[in-house]
Amino acid sequence: MKQRELRIRGLTKVFETPEGPVTAVKDVDLDISGDEFFSMLGPSGCGKTTTLRMISGLETITSGTIQFADRDLSALPSAERNLGMVFQSYALFPHMNVFENAAYGLRLRKVPGRQIQDRVQPLLNALGLQGLHGRYPSDLSGGQQQRVSIARALAYDPDMFLLDEPLANLDAKLRVQMREEIRRIQKELGVLAVYVTHDQEEAMSVSDRIGVFHLGRLMQVGPPPEVYRRPTSLFVADFIGKINFFPAHLGTADARGGRAQLRSGVEVEVGRLERLDPVERDDFGIDTPAVVAVRPEHLRLHAYDAPDARGTEGTVRRVLFLGSIVRFFVTCADATKEVLVETADPPAGVDEGSRVRLSFAPQHATCFRS
Amino acid sequence: MTAAPITPPHRGAQPRTRRPTRDWTPWLVGTITAVVLLLLLVYPIFTTLASSFVPQGRPIAWENLSLVNFERFFTSPLYQRAFVNSLVVSLTTTAIATVIALPAAYAMARVEIPARNFLMSLSVIPLIAPPFIGAYSWVILLGRRGIFTHYLDQWFGLSVPTIFGPFGIILALSLSYFPFVFLIVQGALSAADPYIEESANIMGASRWRILRTITFPLVIPSIASGALIVFIRSLGNVGVPAVLGGDYYVLPTLILFQVEGFFNLNGAAAIAMVNVLLVILFLLFIRRFQGRKRYVTLTGTTRGARRSRRPLDVFVGTAYVWGLMFLALLPQMLVVFSSFAERWAGTLLPTQYGLANYRLILGNVLQPILNSVTLSGMATLMALAFGLITAYVSLRKRFAGRWLIDITVMLPFVLPGIVTGVAYLTTFNTGPLAMTGTAAILVFAYFVRRLAYAFRSISAAIGQVDTALEDASTICGASWGRTIRKVTVPLIAPGILAGGILVFSTLIGELSVTIMLFSGKWKTVSIAIFEYLTSYRTAPAAAMGTIVIVITLTLVFTASRLLRRGMADLFR
Repeated sequence: MKQRELRIRGLTKVFETPEGPVTAVKDVDLDISGDEFFSMLGPSGCGKTTTLRMISGLETITSGTIQFADRDLSALPSAERNLGMVFQSYALFPHMNVFENAAYGLRLRKVPGRQIQDRVQPLLNALGLQGLHGRYPSDLSGGQQQRVSIARALAYDPDMFLLDEPLANLDAKLRVQMREEIRRIQKELGVLAVYVTHDQEEAMSVSDRIGVFHLGRLMQVGPPPEVYRRPTSLFVADFIGKINFFPAHLGTADARGGRAQLRSGVEVEVGRLERLDPVERDDFGIDTPAVVAVRPEHLRLHAYDAPDARGTEGTVRRVLFLGSIVRFFVTCADATKEVLVETADPPAGVDEGSRVRLSFAPQHATCFRS
Repeated sequence: MTAAPITPPHRGAQPRTRRPTRDWTPWLVGTITAVVLLLLLVYPIFTTLASSFVPQGRPIAWENLSLVNFERFFTSPLYQRAFVNSLVVSLTTTAIATVIALPAAYAMARVEIPARNFLMSLSVIPLIAPPFIGAYSWVILLGRRGIFTHYLDQWFGLSVPTIFGPFGIILALSLSYFPFVFLIVQGALSAADPYIEESANIMGASRWRILRTITFPLVIPSIASGALIVFIRSLGNVGVPAVLGGDYYVLPTLILFQVEGFFNLNGAAAIAMVNVLLVILFLLFIRRFQGRKRYVTLTGTTRGARRSRRPLDVFVGTAYVWGLMFLALLPQMLVVFSSFAERWAGTLLPTQYGLANYRLILGNVLQPILNSVTLSGMATLMALAFGLITAYVSLRKRFAGRWLIDITVMLPFVLPGIVTGVAYLTTFNTGPLAMTGTAAILVFAYFVRRLAYAFRSISAAIGQVDTALEDASTICGASWGRTIRKVTVPLIAPGILAGGILVFSTLIGELSVTIMLFSGKWKTVSIAIFEYLTSYRTAPAAAMGTIVIVITLTLVFTASRLLRRGMADLFR
């Protein structure tokens, strides 16, 4: 395993457009090391792909540094960075067969023919491409093309394995299969991987850590469970998974939580406090100094007149039965939007049109406050 | 999926850590491109512009500037007539070519016409075979003792206007150039999203209404592009009016007259500038129709437009398209036919057939053909190398002033051929870069004249190559040059070949530039034919013309077979 580190400091990219300069990536700091599988996640246009392309050298850097193993990559042309990269379109050379595609990097490095055989053959086999060495890309299925492009990127033992939305063109079932395979082979080779995706499920399932991008900024970095459970911004809370926002006024608060008052005057207890960015507050249309965020699976739904009913009031508009869970859409004056509740165990007597109450346990609620 | 262990990475495969090197290749290539374009294109154009404002024989200098060369357009009836004639000829030709091409394009795109691929291939022949070679055929058909003239008179009592003059020139040019409109419009109609017309149909529009309100407006930009090419071509064509004009002068023949008669380069430059001015005016006019170019977009639909199989449609469409193609190819066919006529004097049809004409030219044909092949070949190679570089740079590199390269490269495309000829004659006649009489001046002029063709073919090919392929090669560790050689060039090779054939085959019979720049030593086959024609030795001209037609057709046919693309696609 290579104990090397990718260190990014103050990475910024400004594009000159006819309408003026546009900052695509702003001040990104990031450390990735060893054989970590790191995903850059965000909606389209958030700067994740631009960041990857700057790491790869396909895009110039406006300011900041990129170092790998204490060597400055910024000044090095892409061809000399020794990277492997998988593209969304696979970018297989249509005039070369599977073997030659995979061997391309080794040929460029003037590796003797025998050694190329010894390296490429097992790699292709490990990717389930035995018997296809002589085929041309146009004769392969999408999944097979994807495997060839992975083989091509890894054949010459790159220092980093970069993947730019590699699964976007595959069907849902193959996506799940391929992402497992990518992770398996990455761990087997012990290569540092940087993975770009807009699909949060994909990112959460394969990554050791995730970096969430928004408008060119790196909003939060952490292992998937941490990012999901402890989002530090409204954007991350909203982008990763689903969440309900209840505008509130924070009363007493200490390190272990506090009490907040919702718009209707209902008092709730929250177990976690985070800072609220005033810009984000405006973006999400919140008109109170604080906001309480609770995920759908942590909201408890009570029939309005049930004995233990408590919390804020609402009316069920729609009930979706999804098999393992039931999803409720609840109109609630205390929330910014329609409230989403997901439960495997729906309360009896609650139906479309029912009046209900909503509550949550303090440890599952985060209060963002200024 | 096997979980077989992967052999440990080769340490030997690691590249040695090199000092960062900057890739200067793009800059070097860019500089060479700029220098060549400046020297061979921009410089001649400006020299011509300057010398048109200087009296004959004076050097270009501030104190010599005058409008004397342009004065003739106000004082000389010859100049005035040539100016009006040129306008009449090119505008009428453009109008006729467009009008006859549109029904054919519509029929080919919307009706199931038998042998459509064959017809499409036929339609490019008028573009390959130089129009002046077929021009004399119209004299045989419609001249005073022409075949058609005879029967029209005998059967219908109709008399034909004299073929020498505007009638003949416009007829020959329209039938030679209509394929430009035909190919572009047919392509646009075939590529148009069929759902648009179908949805109009579902809303209850009649066929005629769809044609008028949807189909036609959608292809207006294509019609405009085609018409522009026809206008530029007919304005710059010197061969046809020289063969069929008689004393009916147009601007190109007036230029020829000034150069051959008086070697008045400054006068020729002025006429050339007037010629360019007309092109610019027409360009500005036609742009109003091209503005909406974004209309016809290639959608993701793989389905082509539906073609009618109704017997009436098929019958009318077939009759029209075949009839038009027959008329357009008649001159070429007649050239081939008359090349085998040994005795054809005073009679309607030849009285004796044989190879005498070929025997006659045997001693004179090889050298001109060799010259043409050499000059065209060298120019083609240059145009391809250059087209590759400029197309690559303009599509793949981001730098300020890229649009300047685009415009410069496409410039000769809108310059009438005769203008390029004058520009080269004016610029490279004397001075440090004197090349008159050499092969080089012809090669460079050919190169400049066809650079736009090569550029367009190769641009189209590069546009098809996903940039990620080049990125992937770079990431794998390939330098810029290596990526070009290993990935880009192999992938666009068909496009390069197609462009090369297009350039080469249209250069073999090139006359407009050649006639200005050729020398005794470098007489081309087009000049040889032209000299036969203008000295009324039409039989050997036909034999030599046949050879040119056969060579170019074989080339284009072979290319289309090699590339598995229709001949017509090579020209779109």
